[in-house]
Order: sequence, then C-alpha cells, then structure tokens
Amino acid sequence: MKDYFMSDVLVEQGGFLQGKEMKSRKIRINNPDNDRPINIFIGTAVILSIISIFMLNIDWIMLFSRVGELAGVFIELSQFNFTNFDLVAVAFMESVTVTLLATLYSLVGGLLMGAFMARNITPSKKLAGVLSSYNSFIRAVPTPIWVLLIIACLGFGPAPGIIGLSFHATAFFARAFSQAFEEVPQATIEALQATGANRIQIFFSAVLPASMTALIAWSAMRFEINFSESTILGMVGGGGIGYSIAASVTGYNFGRAGISILMVFVFAYCLEIMFTAIKRRMKA
Amino acid sequence: MADKQKHLPLVDGGEKKMVTIAFFVMLALFTAATAYTQFNPFTILKEQSTFWNFITQDFLPPDIAKAKGLWSAMLQTLGMALAATFIASCLAFVFAFLGSGTTAPYPWLSKIIRAVGSFTRNIPALVWSFILVMAFGIGTSVGLIALTVETFGFLLRAFIETIDEVGSESLEALNACGADYFQKLAQCVIPAAIPGYISWFLYCIEVNIRSSTIVGMVGGGGVGLVLMIYIKSFKYHVAGAIILAIAAVVILVDLTTNWLRKRVLV
Repeated sequence: MKDYFMSDVLVEQGGFLQGKEMKSRKIRINNPDNDRPINIFIGTAVILSIISIFMLNIDWIMLFSRVGELAGVFIELSQFNFTNFDLVAVAFMESVTVTLLATLYSLVGGLLMGAFMARNITPSKKLAGVLSSYNSFIRAVPTPIWVLLIIACLGFGPAPGIIGLSFHATAFFARAFSQAFEEVPQATIEALQATGANRIQIFFSAVLPASMTALIAWSAMRFEINFSESTILGMVGGGGIGYSIAASVTGYNFGRAGISILMVFVFAYCLEIMFTAIKRRMKA
Repeated sequence: MADKQKHLPLVDGGEKKMVTIAFFVMLALFTAATAYTQFNPFTILKEQSTFWNFITQDFLPPDIAKAKGLWSAMLQTLGMALAATFIASCLAFVFAFLGSGTTAPYPWLSKIIRAVGSFTRNIPALVWSFILVMAFGIGTSVGLIALTVETFGFLLRAFIETIDEVGSESLEALNACGADYFQKLAQCVIPAAIPGYISWFLYCIEVNIRSSTIVGMVGGGGVGLVLMIYIKSFKYHVAGAIILAIAAVVILVDLTTNWLRKRVLV
C-alpha cells in the first residue's frame, strides 16, 4: 500500500483544474470524477426508457387525434348527476371506513412486528431476519392481488378489503417502523439498560418516544396511500367508491362517475393539506 | 409537590396530553368504523382453515409452465413503468422550475402548475385509466398515460420541494455576479437538486412497477391483464405462479434501486 498524504491527494484531484485551464482558459469548479456515476446513471436511464417507449408499440398518431375526445369525456363527467346520491355517499363512507380500519389494524401490527424486526431491540436476531424476509415478500405483491385472493376465499363485502389492505400496510409499517427504531441511538438504550430497565420499559420510555415523529410521518403517508388503494379495490371487485366509479362508467352514467371521482379527489386533497400542515408543525 | 409526585416524568407533559388525545380520537374512530362496517377481526381466525385450504390446494404447486406469454407481458409491464416514470420526470423537471417559489418567473403560473399537480396526483392511477379508457379505448397507451399523469403530479411536488431545499444563499451569490435566469438554473439549482431528483425517480420506479401491474388488470395490458384472465377463469395454479413471478420481479427491482442509491448517490 502506498502512503497517501493530503497534499498528494490534492495535487491528484486538482489535476483536472490545471488540465482544463490550459485548454479553455476557464477554471472548472466541479470534479468530473464525482459526477461520473450520476452521468452514467442518467445516460442509461434515458436509453432504457426510450427503448421501452418504443417497445410498447403505442400508436401516437391515433392518441393525439383523440385528445379532443378526452376533453369531451371531462365535460360529460362534470355534468354531475345527483340522483341516487345516497348510494354514492354510502359507497364513499365504506371506502373511508375501510381505509381507517385497515390503517389502525396495520398500525398495531406494524408496531409489534417493527419492534421484533429492529436489530437494536429485537429479542432474537434470527426472528428479525425471518420477519423481514416475510415482510418483503408481502410487500412485493401489490395490494389488489391480495384482496382478489381474499375475496376468492371469503366472499364479497368490506372484510376482504380491510384484511387485504392491512396485510400489505402491516408489512409496510413493519419495515418503516423498524428502520425508525434502529435510528434511536444505542447510547440511549444502554443508559436505560444500566438502570435495570427491562425490554418493555426500554421500548415504551426510550425507543417509542424518540421515534414518534417518524412514526407519525409514516402513518400519515400510509393513510393517504391506503385511501387511494381502497378506491382501487372497488375496481377489481371489492366494494366502496371504486365500485361506484367502475359501475357508473360501464353503465354510461358519467354524471355519477364524475361526482364519485370528485369526492375521491376532494378527500385526498384535504388529507394532503392536513398532513402537510402537521409535518410542517412537527419540523418547526 | 415533591410528595405528590414520586418520580420525574420522562416525557414532557404537553406531549403526553397530545398522545392521550390522539389515542382517544383513534379509539373513537375505530369504534365508529367498526360499527359502520360490522367488521369482526376474528373472522380471520374463524376462516383461517378455509384460507389455508385455498392456499395449499388451489394455489400450490404453482404451475409456471402453463403461463403462456408471462415473460413478454412482464417485460411490457416493466417497460410501461419505466417509460411512464421517465416521461413524467422529464415533464416534472421542466414544470418544477416554473412551480417552485425560489425559481418561479411568474407567481401566477406557479399557482396554476401547483393546482394541476395536486389535481393529477390526488386521483389514483386506476381512476385515471378508467377516464382515459373512455377516450382512447383499451390498450397499453392508456396504462402508460394513466401512470404518467399520476407520477407527474407526485414528482412535481417532490421536485419542487427539492428545489426549495437548495437554499437561497447560493442563488444570491449567482445573482450578485450577474447570472441570468438559465445560468442560475444550470450552475446552481440543477447541480444541487440532481441527487434529490434521482432518489425520487428511483422511488417512483418502485411504486410504478406495482401500479403498472394493477393498471394492467383493468385493461392497461401487461402482466396484470394476464393474471386477471387466469384468476377469472379459476386457474389458480397458473395465477399462483404469476403472482410469485411478480413478487420476484418486484423484489429484484427493489434490490436494484437500493444498489443504485448506494452507487450513484454517495
């Protein structure tokens, strides 16, 4: 191994400054060596994306010729049809309650599993490994597929939606929470161990309060995702507002589809504003 | 006072009150929602045997040999996710400059752009694909556009936040030496924001791989459509194989993006 001194390194890294200066009479202010991975990444991403755009065989001319029809669709959707609005309201409430219950159940499950998965507080490292690979499998399969499977064995109703959503969200929370727990400094945990606190006391008086901000941020994010997932569920055969949208569209009742879509948008928009405000307050 | 309180509180009193209030609000919401949906969590335990029977008899063993056209459909799904993320990030790249408070040339334009972004991201991709099917008919183009539209809204917000974090000091420095608008973007904003952009791009790839499978289920093409066909015709062994294949691809993509994050974003 050659010994490197700081001055050598500086001369070596500074080489690009001098070389460029001679050619273009300009002093470079960035180091191309640092930019190389980023440039390679961007180049590869662009090439792969262009290949995949061509691979999809999309008829662009047809697409652009029909943009006018899209405007027509929006006009039809905006002529709201309020007959049987109570049915839409019931469907909407079902989506909201499914979201709520799924988030709450998975919050409990995720906290429990996250505590066993976090490497600094887990009672057994083996268990942590098993749980984390189980959760990556659950997360890898999209939620609607889980719901479809559960519908296939439980039948219709809000139950498959709640179970399917919680299934996926629990795995999501478990990973997010275990990472948040792992960020709690080891010194804090050791300090409590020194006073003779047991595992449960350490978890509730050190780990949980220290990672509370992260937990709230993740729960807010997942609540938003869960709502959009629960609207999706209706479209693949579950209940809720998604079913109302899908059924209205296939039945050419565009006015009702429009009002359902508007309700989804308004609720999601309110959630976004609320959670942004909460996040801002927590940062301050 | 000292007699009353035997131990020092570890957690601040105000914070404790907030947690208690939050807990009771959640409990109330939970009770109300449970009453509304009549959902009994113990149905899972009751129906457990049905569930396991279903898994072990209908699904296992997965029959990958009969899944015709699985890999070409998978390639289509991957292509759709990548293309949608790429187009959306190109659009968001341009519009984020016009939408961010630090770089917006016209304040009224930035308000319009933010409104459009929040409109497109708050409607789920699947709802977009329903709207688009009405105009364009069924096909991969619908899936691609639906994903692009939702991702655009999401990335617009993410990119605007990234630009806002760049900080006004370096911009001020460039202002002081007389740089024009495009010089400021090229020399200060873009170099500082590129790592943030890339990390959001990778996040969107991960999300879109899953979404493009789902969009496929309602007619967007790709592996979702193939899966839907087998589930609807009750060929669960083949469907099981497809689900495992999807999981494998998603895990592979997640590993790749994690590796890229470590390699590219030092």
